[in-house]
Amino acid sequence: MNWGETFEFLWKSTGFANMTWGNVAMIAIACFFLFLGIKKKFEPLLLVGIAFGMLISNLPVDGITSTPLYHPEWWTVQEVDYVNVLQHGGLIDILYIGVKTSVYPCLIFLGVGAMTDFEPMLSNPKSLILGAAAQFGIYVAFFLAVCFGFTGPEAASIGIVGGADGPTAIWLTKSLAPHLLAAIAIAAYSYMALIPVIQPPLMKLMTTKKERAIVMKPTRKVTKSEKILFPIVVIIATCLFLPSVAPLLGCLMLGNLLKESGVTARLSDTAQNAMMNIVTILLSVSVGATAHFSTFLTAETLKIVALGLLAFVFATIGGLAIGKLLCWLSKGKINPLIGSAGVSAVPMAARVSNTMGLKERPGNYLLMHAMGPNVAGVIGSAVAAGFLMAVFS
Amino acid sequence: MGIGTGEISILDALIISAVGIVIVFAVLVILMGIIMLMGLIADKSPAIAAKLPKLPKFSFGKKKEKATESVGADADAEPAPGTCGELLLVRTEERDAAMIMAIVADTLGTPLNELRFKSIKRVDGQESPTVEKAEE
Repeated sequence: MNWGETFEFLWKSTGFANMTWGNVAMIAIACFFLFLGIKKKFEPLLLVGIAFGMLISNLPVDGITSTPLYHPEWWTVQEVDYVNVLQHGGLIDILYIGVKTSVYPCLIFLGVGAMTDFEPMLSNPKSLILGAAAQFGIYVAFFLAVCFGFTGPEAASIGIVGGADGPTAIWLTKSLAPHLLAAIAIAAYSYMALIPVIQPPLMKLMTTKKERAIVMKPTRKVTKSEKILFPIVVIIATCLFLPSVAPLLGCLMLGNLLKESGVTARLSDTAQNAMMNIVTILLSVSVGATAHFSTFLTAETLKIVALGLLAFVFATIGGLAIGKLLCWLSKGKINPLIGSAGVSAVPMAARVSNTMGLKERPGNYLLMHAMGPNVAGVIGSAVAAGFLMAVFS
Repeated sequence: MGIGTGEISILDALIISAVGIVIVFAVLVILMGIIMLMGLIADKSPAIAAKLPKLPKFSFGKKKEKATESVGADADAEPAPGTCGELLLVRTEERDAAMIMAIVADTLGTPLNELRFKSIKRVDGQESPTVEKAEE
């Protein structure tokens, strides 16, 4: 036995011998995101999984004694060879099938639907206008991305970050620009966590002290029948206009129907808890693993991060601008602060509106009023994503 | 439209952005109209139901007697749906009660699980219910 060759072979099979600067950089970035998720509590339920997926897919392997967990080159082609993936793929490759086939984002929407109470929106239908206005950021970012030299599908995927809706962003990006998926998902979730930092200065800048202190009247009571009819009506109405949005909105509304019908409590409970948690783990790890250094450490990632921030800023501005318009039209009955909640990060954006209202006038609780535009924003961003999918797919 | 995967000009991007935001507004405004219509029907339906001729209600055995007894009871003391454990809700919706409890906890700066609410009662002439007792 040649001990020298054996030890050389053993050394070459270790991660140390196969380490590149790209691996080191990505491991450092993954550890930084783990720090943000665990210590700073930035969307920890998702960021911890994303960062860990990023970490394990960037650990170096020799390709002989061990195979990579994820093969980025298999997923950026036009037609994915699923037989090859199932026969030779690593763990993350297998998990990633759920992202590529849209199963995870849609199941997340099913859980979100089961957890969402649309009553604030149903009791004040004007909320839908604010939910639409906050999608302004998507189109501004899309336009700017084209100006920065991105292709149409790439720009559409970057723009959807402004919808502040992780599953929607993943759903659109995996179809239009899968090579940008990790950067876009990380930008979307990071900025969602930063909403309490991004929005308040804009809210102060765009509203007067008097407007922020407006106390809104309680809204009307919504009947049980309306709550049950709502998901059925929404899915029929929206899918007649935009059939491409059916998978996302269909699951969102199914989840809500399970909750509101009152006869499927067990299913609603599973959708809200067990299923949601399982899919969150699978989605976050597989999306994080797509952040391979070969596709992540590029100048494009920095551009996406910058454009994502602009998308959030313009989404907030759009919501506030229409909020001010509604305030003026209603002769001061609507507090424009609820406009910024149209950015569909539920319930973070609504909480920010509530906090700003309370700061201006103690006892001015805007939470229930802001939840209307907040949940309308979820529908708005799904419609915007459906439109971009129809244009570029 | 189906533009495909190629590069697009700035003018195309501008047009897509404008059309996109118009479509989002159009779909959500239509939804708003539908929701308003549903609300209108829901609001009018009790009035319509009241106008319809009332059918005699069938009752079984002692339940009828119990129902007539409860009419004479003090309405204020009757617990509302949602009354749970030692918390008594009087003419208060569950949703309002949850909101009030959250507000009290926030105002006092005390976590909700460290507060004891004994009763929440809607007082005549006031739009919002009042909390009778909240202890830490």
